Amino acid sequence: MDWRVRRIGQALFTVWGVITISFLLVRLMPGNPMSAMIVELEEQGISPTQARYLVELRLNIDPEEPIPIAYVNYVGSMIQGDLGHSMYYDRPVVEVLATALPWTLFVLSWAAFISFFLGITLGALMAYWEGGRLDLGLTGYATVMGSVPFYVLAILLLVFLGYRYGIFPTGGRQPTGVEPGFNWTYIRGVIHHAALPVISMLVVSGAASLSMRGNSIRVLGEDYLRVARLRGLPDSTIAIQYVARNAILPMYTGLMISIGSMFGGSIILEEVFAYRGVGYYMMSAVNQRDYPLMLGAFTIITIAVVIALLIADLTYSKIDPRAGGGKSEGL
Amino acid sequence: MKDSRGPTDGDGQPKAADGDGQPKAADGGSVNSPFETISDIEETRRDRYRKRYENYVYAPFSIIWDDWRARIGLAIIALYVFVGTVGVFLVEPTTNLDGSAFIQPFETWEHPFGTDRMGRDLFADTIHSTRPILIMMASGGLFTVTVGTVFGTIAGYKGGITDTVLSSITDVFINIPGLPLVIVLAVMFEPRNPVLVGILLSIAAWAGLARAIRSQVLTMRRESFTEAARAMDVSTSRIIRKDILPRLMPYIVINMMNATRNIIFSAVGLYFLGVLPFEDQNWGITLYLAYDAGAHYRPGALHWLLIPMIAIIGISVGLILLGQSLDRVFNPRVRARHRNGEAEAEGSEDVEADNTGMMKQV
Amino acid sequence: MTEQAVSNDDRDASITDPILEVRNATVKFGMDRGESRVLDDVSIDIERNEILGVVGESGSGKSMFASAFLDAIVDPGTLSGEISYYPDSGGEVDVLGLTKSELNQFRWEEIAMVFQGAMSSFNPVRKINTHFVETLTAHGDTVSEGMERARTILSDLYMDPERVLRSYPHELSGGMKQRVLIALSLVLEPEVLVMDEPTAALDLLMQRSIISLIEDIKEKYDLTIVFITHDLPLVVDLADRIGVLYAFEFIEIGPANELLEEAAHPYTRALLKSTPNLTAPVDEMRPIEGSAPDPVNEISGCSYHSRCPMADQRCEVEDPGPYIVDTDHDVHCHYWEEASEAVPMPNDGSGTETGSPDSDQPISVQTPETRPRWAGENPVLSLDDVEVHFEATQDEGLLNLFTDPETVRAVDGISFDIYENDVVVLVGESGCGKTTLGKAAVGLERPTAGRVEYRGQDVWEAKETGGDIPFEDIRQSLQIVHQDPGNALNSYRKVFSSLEEPLVRWYDDLDGNDRRQRILSMLKHVGMSPPEDYIERYPHQLSGGEQQRVALIRAMLMNPDVILADEPVSALDVSLRVEMMDLMLELQDMFDTSYLFISHDLANARYITEKTDGLIGVVYLGKLVEIGTPERIINDPQHPYTRALCWATPELLTETDRTDDSPMRKIDIPDPTDPPSGCRYHTRCPEARDVCREVEPEMVDSGTDETHQRAACFRAQENHEYWTSESIVED
Repeated sequence: MDWRVRRIGQALFTVWGVITISFLLVRLMPGNPMSAMIVELEEQGISPTQARYLVELRLNIDPEEPIPIAYVNYVGSMIQGDLGHSMYYDRPVVEVLATALPWTLFVLSWAAFISFFLGITLGALMAYWEGGRLDLGLTGYATVMGSVPFYVLAILLLVFLGYRYGIFPTGGRQPTGVEPGFNWTYIRGVIHHAALPVISMLVVSGAASLSMRGNSIRVLGEDYLRVARLRGLPDSTIAIQYVARNAILPMYTGLMISIGSMFGGSIILEEVFAYRGVGYYMMSAVNQRDYPLMLGAFTIITIAVVIALLIADLTYSKIDPRAGGGKSEGL
Repeated sequence: MKDSRGPTDGDGQPKAADGDGQPKAADGGSVNSPFETISDIEETRRDRYRKRYENYVYAPFSIIWDDWRARIGLAIIALYVFVGTVGVFLVEPTTNLDGSAFIQPFETWEHPFGTDRMGRDLFADTIHSTRPILIMMASGGLFTVTVGTVFGTIAGYKGGITDTVLSSITDVFINIPGLPLVIVLAVMFEPRNPVLVGILLSIAAWAGLARAIRSQVLTMRRESFTEAARAMDVSTSRIIRKDILPRLMPYIVINMMNATRNIIFSAVGLYFLGVLPFEDQNWGITLYLAYDAGAHYRPGALHWLLIPMIAIIGISVGLILLGQSLDRVFNPRVRARHRNGEAEAEGSEDVEADNTGMMKQV
Repeated sequence: MTEQAVSNDDRDASITDPILEVRNATVKFGMDRGESRVLDDVSIDIERNEILGVVGESGSGKSMFASAFLDAIVDPGTLSGEISYYPDSGGEVDVLGLTKSELNQFRWEEIAMVFQGAMSSFNPVRKINTHFVETLTAHGDTVSEGMERARTILSDLYMDPERVLRSYPHELSGGMKQRVLIALSLVLEPEVLVMDEPTAALDLLMQRSIISLIEDIKEKYDLTIVFITHDLPLVVDLADRIGVLYAFEFIEIGPANELLEEAAHPYTRALLKSTPNLTAPVDEMRPIEGSAPDPVNEISGCSYHSRCPMADQRCEVEDPGPYIVDTDHDVHCHYWEEASEAVPMPNDGSGTETGSPDSDQPISVQTPETRPRWAGENPVLSLDDVEVHFEATQDEGLLNLFTDPETVRAVDGISFDIYENDVVVLVGESGCGKTTLGKAAVGLERPTAGRVEYRGQDVWEAKETGGDIPFEDIRQSLQIVHQDPGNALNSYRKVFSSLEEPLVRWYDDLDGNDRRQRILSMLKHVGMSPPEDYIERYPHQLSGGEQQRVALIRAMLMNPDVILADEPVSALDVSLRVEMMDLMLELQDMFDTSYLFISHDLANARYITEKTDGLIGVVYLGKLVEIGTPERIINDPQHPYTRALCWATPELLTETDRTDDSPMRKIDIPDPTDPPSGCRYHTRCPEARDVCREVEPEMVDSGTDETHQRAACFRAQENHEYWTSESIVED
């Protein structure tokens, strides 16, 4: 079978696994949210039938049904895109998250792009002047960056650039009082609001630059590089087509995995900057004990990460001719 | 070749010989073949302990000590451990109104790190926070490494259906984003015990390690040295312990350092968000309280935020430095030549590569 | 001594039209333990359109010599001296004085280089085509014209240009990559081609084929070739002149034939004697004692004096300048005139004209004794119709249960026996399944069909259900010594720890001191002294030969009946091979073991079987095609493939005595996942006929009982339909 089909199968398997975990947590754990919800509703004086109806609306689980059937129905409604009904916002979970997701993706894609670009460039420079002052300095920088949790950076940025000097807004995702649309004031406002969250995520570049440095140094010692130099190829070709390309390849999957962890990190960042993305809603769901919304956000984030990793693996075979297809062990 | 031998050999060898505590005349006389030689002197239990000490304690530590990063890293970690174990008995826990509110750091020696809004002493707070954090780090780090290594090694060495099942589980956990899962679980389970918190935080962290170890074990399983061991009928568990795990150690150690660092980051992050329930003090809770009280915009309160931040950054710098140097400790090449200067070592390797180039060819 | 040392200036009087002049080339590396000279004041002229062979063991500075021509010494080495290049068009180029951009033009346009690491000489993410195009563009050549040239060269090298250009490097086999690299080096039409061990990583057949191609290419493209290798026989019939490098300087330079027949330096003579080949008597082959000097220590006097049998005080003090042996033959030895007595060659006895034996009349091979021990004796190990088929599985994951695997028929029905104190050598190209067969024989690879019996007990039956002989005993009796000694020892364990393993497992009654004592005495026995020092070393601190010794002792400690020795000497320098094989044979005597020896080199196979009265088995694509005593296999091969292997084995013969026509129709081995029908060799066989395509030949006896010769070829049978079948060889 084609390995791509298997890879997609694996991704679906993961999503199924996450849905199953949510079901187990909601329905089967001792003191689970479903029972808690029923007790709470009954305490409010709502009739058992009405409570049952509300629970099914919110969680997609009918408490009366036997567990296997409830499970099948739960998975079924999840597949149809019904993630339940948010208690706090009193709207379908999908609706709440659909407005939030683009903002999260916006911040994340910029953060990922800039930090990878930065990491790769710095790493290449470090490798080029290996052992020099720049190398030493940047290695120090990367080590410190690796020791700073991004939310610590976020708080510091907020304190200084937000509150102290007022350069950037301290919260929100779009400028107030500007008509949303394709106009410069609005776009500038949006970028302005996204700046601090994006900058906070740049700590990722530290680790990326160190591995780029190591890979480049390794490639610089390869035979094919020596042959390329003797063949008289221009420095630019050697730098980009030979060193950079071969150094980035082994990092590629790692970078994509770090998108996954950035997604997780965005929950904390969106809370710090009051940036209304998926993570912000997830946190508000946590604080309000709004289980449908919390699990919905979790599912959405998982699917997004699974898709990112899937794309990473599928495109990897495009950029590295040795991967995929005929990849067999031992040869 | 001889000159590039490392200090273990140089230092360790005469000691090891000494450790046997016996003359070398045993192979003479009645023995016909060198393959039938035995020693005249019996090995005592003390000899064995001494050899173990040489191999597993003395040698690694003397190597670690030669690397400046390791020295700094170890010193930092040791300081935190000291604070977390002994420090808590030396410094009284603080209470509200210990001093007046918002005393700045280094303003008075009574409160070297200053106080918060309630007049709690931040120095005592920091000291008493260290212990639960260290427990989380240790439990989570051990959990990650144990589960990751066990899963990866078994999947890689056993192969077949075992591999298929274990790898599929691993793949699911690799794809699930860690922090959101942890948040969901934290909300559901409300863990309070630091050991449980540590394990919960690393619930998905082991998967990356497991996958990496699996592919390494898979490669090693096909290498000649494990095949030779199988031909000698060495048991699978001994092959894994003696041949495979030592080669994975650099990898495991680095991952352990990264895992513990991530545990601090996410633990503090989750306490800061208020997701994890709390009773005791820790840096994340200090951050949470400070942020909640608006320390990020209130004048004169910045140190309330900065002190836990510095505590976090400090220990993770220690972990990074230690991790970077431990990686080198296990590498026999580094072991063998680490007395030489770095640059020279590279150069001599080039020449060696020329000399040994032929041997490498198949 | 009446000779006078000649000065540097008027040496090489025979060179009339030099294309390159090297004067006092020295390469130095600064290292922490002192400055090391890895090329020491080398001066040499290279004649236009000659092939100069440069022979040196590893660590003799030969790669430095190669890089010097292109001023391409890797950092931190520094090159000093003078290199002058005289292009066809006239004028003189001072190579070391070129600016960076001039050098960029000079390299590849005037002098091109083929590296030893062809496997890693291409950018893995770019197609072969791109490599050619970017080279042409970088030198301002017209791409379309250049690519036309590239296509011609590729087809001259027996490759399909379109297919090759479309491929990525990893899609090509090693031999193809090597040929593509040669094509790439010729695409700018250079005058000089420097080749640094271009065939070292290849099979003998491919190696021999490439050597023939180099000769053709040289004629066609008017090249001057500097061919650098560790393998003296390989270059003997290719080169016009040969220079021998020892300890970073030339110790002898002369015409190839003369060097072969009348080598004047004791080292050259010793090297010739230490090289296993197919013709010289095996008893005459001797290893060179001692080891080459360290580049850091400044050597006073002759660099070879510590190993030379005729060295005296003068040699320790006075650097031997070049002495003229002949107009075009120089030697750096004070006593070269006595060398022929001090280091006698097998062919010295009756003068020079018998230096090369008549190839169809064996003079050296002893008549095999009859083997009484075979009569009525039971084999230790018996393989009966063994098959090993692999499924080339894809990677991990739950869903690969549905994958359609491709089957590789690595071993496809092979039978043979090994007796007590026996030696069987399997030879064949890489990928022919000989290693898999060996591993199946010692119970490390489970056959998919057929039986492997140890003293009559099926090995796998014993493992699963138990048998008359417990599996534990069988396991102990069948051991392995791997091809790559560096990998056979765990690089994370010290020598002591690796050697302790079998003792811990099998000798409970030994305590730590006993083990240590035994290991020490064994190391001493195999010449690793002081053993107290060696047991504390890691494998990378040992030389290849020392690593292999440790691996060998480790296997011997098990006291096995049969040892599978998988190419145990191919990773070693040529001069060390004989020594290692002798050690193996000595240990065989001591332990009463048998060897199943695997080799791609017929010369090694011959050496070891002739010394032990063993058999050589020839394996091709999972089939045993011929088996017999070395005398029969080498002098009267029945199978055309065996004949090809004999042809491919480098010989210490002068040019006139060799046949240069390849006895094969195709250079590349077919894909083992899809082997040819009928006789698997029919696609390459020059004698193939129609019937070979359809019917698979059986093994038939083709010699007498004593020679044990059997071959799977119709030509060995007199009245076979083959003789009336249509030939499928097209010209």
